Amino acid sequence: MWWLVSRQIDPLETMPVSPYARPTRWVLWLWAVAVLVFLYLPIAFLVLFSFNEPRTPGLPIVNLTLHWYEVAAGNSLLLEAVKNSIIVAVAVAFLATLIGTMAAFPLVRGGIRHADSVRILATMPIMLPGILLGIAMLIFFRRVLDLELSLLTVIAGHLVFTTPFVVLIVAARLQGFDQRLEWAAADLGASPRQALRHVILPLISPAIAAGALISVTLSIDEFIITFFTVGPQVTLPLYIYTQIKFGVTPEVNAVATVLLLATVALLFGSGLVLRAGRRLLRQGGR
Amino acid sequence: MSLPSGVGLKGVPLVQPGPAAPSRGLGRLAPAVPGAIALFLLFLAPMAFMLVFSFWRTDVDFNLVPDWNINNYTKFFTVPTYLRTFLKTMLMAAAVTAAGLAAALPFCYFLVRYVSRRRQRLVLLAVIVPFWTSYLLRVYAWQAILGERGALNQALQAIGILDEPSRLFVYNDIGVFIVLVYVYFPFAALALYAALEKFDFSQLYAAQDLGARPDQAFRHILVPQIRSGIITACIFMFIPILGEFLTPTLVGGVQGSLIANLVVNFFRGAQIAQGAAFAIIIAVFVTALLVVFRKYLRIEDVVARE
Repeated sequence: MWWLVSRQIDPLETMPVSPYARPTRWVLWLWAVAVLVFLYLPIAFLVLFSFNEPRTPGLPIVNLTLHWYEVAAGNSLLLEAVKNSIIVAVAVAFLATLIGTMAAFPLVRGGIRHADSVRILATMPIMLPGILLGIAMLIFFRRVLDLELSLLTVIAGHLVFTTPFVVLIVAARLQGFDQRLEWAAADLGASPRQALRHVILPLISPAIAAGALISVTLSIDEFIITFFTVGPQVTLPLYIYTQIKFGVTPEVNAVATVLLLATVALLFGSGLVLRAGRRLLRQGGR
Repeated sequence: MSLPSGVGLKGVPLVQPGPAAPSRGLGRLAPAVPGAIALFLLFLAPMAFMLVFSFWRTDVDFNLVPDWNINNYTKFFTVPTYLRTFLKTMLMAAAVTAAGLAAALPFCYFLVRYVSRRRQRLVLLAVIVPFWTSYLLRVYAWQAILGERGALNQALQAIGILDEPSRLFVYNDIGVFIVLVYVYFPFAALALYAALEKFDFSQLYAAQDLGARPDQAFRHILVPQIRSGIITACIFMFIPILGEFLTPTLVGGVQGSLIANLVVNFFRGAQIAQGAAFAIIIAVFVTALLVVFRKYLRIEDVVARE
C-alpha cells in the first residue's frame, strides 16, 4: 500500500508547519490502510471459504476445491432463484429507467412548483428504511387491493426505490447538459422530437445506461423489500437468507462469490459508460 | 413581404428559444406523470393506508377492524420493553454514526489531502464497491468472522488468549455495532469525500500563519466548510439503522433486537395495526430528520456520483 502516499504534492506541503505534521501523516496513512483492510477482510473470508472443503464455512482452510461451485451449479432450487432474480431485475431495470428518465426532465428543466419539496418526496423512497416500504406495500397489496403476491409485486416493490436512483443519475447529467446544443438544434430546424432523438438522448444515454445497470445491481441484491412483497417464489437473496438461517454450507459462499463478481462487473460497466459519456459531453460541449 | 403579425422577431426570442411551444406549461410536466403515478401508487398510497390502519384494531381472527383508536400508539409509550428498545435503537444509531464519522473523517482527509487525484479515484472505487454489493452478503460475511467458530475466535484461540470458543462477539450488541459500522461506513466516506474534495487546504496554512493552533484551524476553518458533508454522512448512517432488522436477526440474537425487529415480529404475528403504528412512528421520525436537515442533505453526493 506504499503507493497511497504520493510524493509530488504542492510546495507548501514541504514547509515545516509543525513538528507533528509528518507523524500525523503517517498515522493517517496507517488509519487509511486499516480502514481498507476492515472493508475487505470480511469479503476476502467470504470468498476464501467458498473454496474450502469442510461442510461448515470457516477456518481452518483444509483443502482448496471447486466442489461447492459444482454443488451450486447442480442445485435446481438455486437455479430457479437465479432465474427469478434475473426476470425481476430486467423488468425493474427497464421500467425504472423509462419512468425515471422521463421524470428527470421536468425536475431539472423546471415547470414544477415547490421543486425542493418534490425533490425530497421523489427521493424519500431511497432515504426511508426498506422495511417501511416493504411493510407498507405488503399491507397495501394484500389488505387494500387484495392482490396475490408474486414476482409482479416484487417488481413493483423494487421499482419504488430504483426509480429515484435513475432520476438522480439522469438529473445529474441533465444539469451538466449544455442547453445551447438544444437551441442550436432548434435553430437548425429540428422539431422538439428530433432534438430529443438526435441531440439530447445520445448525450444523456450514458447516464441512462448507468441508471439501468445500477437498477439491475440494486434489484438483484435487494432482500428486505423482496422479503415482504414476494409470494411463494424464491429469489437469489431469499435463497441465500434461508441458507444462512438454516444450515449453511460453503455452497452459499460459492453463490455469494459469483454474485459479488456479477455486481462488480455491473458496477464497472456502469462506471465505464458514465466515463465514456463524460468524454462525449465534453466533446459535444465544444 | 410582410410577416403575419405574431410571427417574426417578436415570436422567436433570439436569446433563449428554449423548448418549443408544445412543451410549455402543463405539457412540460407530462413526462413526469408515470413517475408521479408510480410514486403515488407504490409509495404514498401504501404509506397512507399504513397510517390509517395504525389507528384501527386487529381482532382475534387477525382481521383489521375500523375501530378508530390510539391504543397502538399509547402502547409504544406505556410498555417499557418497547420504549426501551426504541431508546436502545437510538443509542445504537448514534454510536454507529459517531464511530462511522470518526473512522471516515481521517480516512477521507488523508485521501483528499495526501493522495494524488488518480489514486484517490481508485481508493474511492474500493470504498464504493462494497457499498453496492449485497447488504445481506456483507452481514453474512461477518457472521463467519464473529461467530462461535468464526475466524476471530479461531485466531484468538491460536494465539492463546481464549481457551474455548467465545460468544463474546456474536449474538449481542457488540456484534451488531461492528457490523453496522461496517455496513454504513461507505455512506459516510462518500459524503465526507464529496465535501472535502471542494475544500481548499491552503486555508489551513493561512489559518496557522495567522496564529491558529491546528485544532483551532480544524474547528473554525475546516468543519464549518464541510458541514453539509458531515450532516449528510450522519443522516445516511443514522436513518437506515432505525429500520435495521436483518443485522440484529443474523448477528444480534435475542439481546441485539432493535425497534424494526419489533415491527417485523408484529407482522409475523399478524398484529398488523400494532405493527403499522410502530412503522409510522419510525417513518415520522425519519421524515422529521429529513425535513429538518434538508438544506444540508446532498443525496446525490452519495448515491449518484460517477
